[in-house]
Amino acid sequence: MGCCYSKKVSRAPGYEDPTILASETPFTVSEVEALYELFKKLSNSINNDGLIHKEELQLALFRNSKRKNLFADRIFDVFDIKRNGVIEFGEFVRSLGVFHPSAPVEDKIKFAYRLYDLRQTGFIEREELKEMVLALLHESDIILSDDVVEAIVDKTFSETDTKGDGKIDLDEFAEMVKNHPMLIKNMTLPYLKDITLAFPSFILNAEVENIEEDCSEIVRMDYRPGAQENKHL
Amino acid sequence: MGNVRNVGKYQLCGTIGEGTFAKVKLAKNTTNAQKVAIKIIDKQMIITNNLMYQVQREIRTMKLLNHPNIVRIHEVIATKAKIYIVMEHVAGGRLSDKLSYSKPLSEEEARKYFQQLIDAVEYCHCRGVYHRDLKVRQIKNQRKLPILEQNIKLTQNVMPYFVQPENLLLDNKGNIKVSDFGLSTLQKPGNLLLTACGSPCYVGPELLRNKGYEGAAADVWTCGVILFEMLAGYLPFDDDNLLNLYRKILGAAYECPRWFTPSQKKLISRIFNQVPNERITVAEIMEDEWFQIDYKPAVGIDFQEKSNVDNVQAAVDSVQEGAVHKVIPQPPRFINAFKLISMSRDLDLTGMFEGQASLQTKTHDDNKKRIILGSKFTISETMQKIERAAQDASLSIERMDNCKIRMWSRLKSKCRSCFDLSAEVTEVAPTDCVVEISKSTGELGAYQEVLYCCILLLDISFLASYFQNTEPANSNRKTVLQKTVKLADRRNMQTSSEANVKG
Repeated sequence: MGCCYSKKVSRAPGYEDPTILASETPFTVSEVEALYELFKKLSNSINNDGLIHKEELQLALFRNSKRKNLFADRIFDVFDIKRNGVIEFGEFVRSLGVFHPSAPVEDKIKFAYRLYDLRQTGFIEREELKEMVLALLHESDIILSDDVVEAIVDKTFSETDTKGDGKIDLDEFAEMVKNHPMLIKNMTLPYLKDITLAFPSFILNAEVENIEEDCSEIVRMDYRPGAQENKHL
Repeated sequence: MGNVRNVGKYQLCGTIGEGTFAKVKLAKNTTNAQKVAIKIIDKQMIITNNLMYQVQREIRTMKLLNHPNIVRIHEVIATKAKIYIVMEHVAGGRLSDKLSYSKPLSEEEARKYFQQLIDAVEYCHCRGVYHRDLKVRQIKNQRKLPILEQNIKLTQNVMPYFVQPENLLLDNKGNIKVSDFGLSTLQKPGNLLLTACGSPCYVGPELLRNKGYEGAAADVWTCGVILFEMLAGYLPFDDDNLLNLYRKILGAAYECPRWFTPSQKKLISRIFNQVPNERITVAEIMEDEWFQIDYKPAVGIDFQEKSNVDNVQAAVDSVQEGAVHKVIPQPPRFINAFKLISMSRDLDLTGMFEGQASLQTKTHDDNKKRIILGSKFTISETMQKIERAAQDASLSIERMDNCKIRMWSRLKSKCRSCFDLSAEVTEVAPTDCVVEISKSTGELGAYQEVLYCCILLLDISFLASYFQNTEPANSNRKTVLQKTVKLADRRNMQTSSEANVKG
């Protein structure tokens, strides 16, 4: 697609064909094009280079580009599939696809697991778990004594680490999520279902080939006196 | 070429309507067999007529509105040449067809439609959506004409005004569904709408006077014309000659049929007031005695639908979690750490979309969808305190279960349909809870009020530590807290003065 356009619209460096992205994600082509409108805004908010930098993600999430934050760092790293320090359009769509309400639960579990594996060792260790709990408590201004925090972490760890090897692997994590589906509630963004309504400007730039050609067959389908009359209004 | 009968997952059936720029087809969602209406717009036509902005605005406007008496848009699909707007299918025909027999409706029927229409209009006004037509191109062309002539031209040319029978559909249960916001717009308070528009019989006098007008009052007039038409079987202002028609409207010269009751006449006369700011308001209509008879606010339906969705989810969760509880007979004394982490606002990506939704007139920093608070009390104490906070903020409350409360604004005179909150308490440790307050719809003021009250009642101890922390990103939270402190001061003063009185 797009090949038949002689004057091609200039696209961001990592731009990918929406039809291909749609086939790999739960999004429709129109939804991918709507996401491109969002991507353009995010990726040009600080550096005008069509790539999302970490500061731009922080700006979008917290309205503040300077705020350092454990989870925002992780989100950025997991989105940055190629690990080249920027989020390209394809990475953006594929990652957000995981958050689509109809994306497979397995993908959501894997994504959450990668987020929580702070040091990217392939396992969630006790230290990492505690670090995240502390980050959440700090973020919410909740003050808990160290004993209580330790107890929470211990409890969760012993419950999850069924193999008892002192670290949580993906299978153990997945098993626990199966028992407590609410744990990955934050991996679903209902908002994504409405993405075409939120960014209707995509309709201007939509370049997909026509999916419905006017109209001979439809007329044949409607070939009843009433319907015909209707058409010539 | 191309697949003729399918657009995405929708299977196209017959055409059900056709206009200058669009046609509407009936279609079926192949994934769930649901019937939908698809408005198919020719992109080239829209671009050459400079209507692209309007179409986008229609979509954004509709996205904002989720009301049982307003047609929903499901999604938008676009290709190189066409735009498809997938909407809820409304099967019962148009209100105008009912009126075209020139026979009045029964009082009950007319009242029901009017109540639903006013409900929808009030809902829109609360969100800053006013209904009117605007075709920039035509208005520009006609600037030079003398005023009255210009207005005649205008009203002849513009597409139908939003609240008029053509745009009011009926579903198969006989409920009103307002459709076609094509040309409604968003208005910031204080900005007079500067473009005259609408179909002549339904427009208020201020639109003809060309001095700028207030969308809300203009909508009230139009609703009055519809009410009159339903009750009388004919239009209150009508003339083959446009100039005469305008004279009638400007003079608010109408005659009630003899069967109009005094209460009907009273309401109608308050609506047809030529002076917009003396005209009855939507809120006042809702308090009118004739209107109040058998009035069931639509808001109930809306929330029910929503909470049903919630409940289904909750039911699924509880079944699944219940299974676990059976294995571990004692409920855990401590929260699962992953559950705690998953509540992090920093892991919430919605911020990415919200800042962008350009139609939200208040893209305030405070406009967060949810906030997390700590509480130093047991779960049941915390629940009681939230209930008290809600009562202090004049909210109605409903306990969903041991740890969830739903709150909504009581039937105050205005914006009744604007607000729905829920608070969920999770036990972190025996004497520590986390409270998650989220809003599903809503106006900001009441939300913050609850927040202040909650913060106040739950725990002020962290305030001190909070103010040492001058992280700018938390400024939103800080303002909340500052206000809370003020509120707390005020209350302390109150309680101390009460104590004084008692003493």
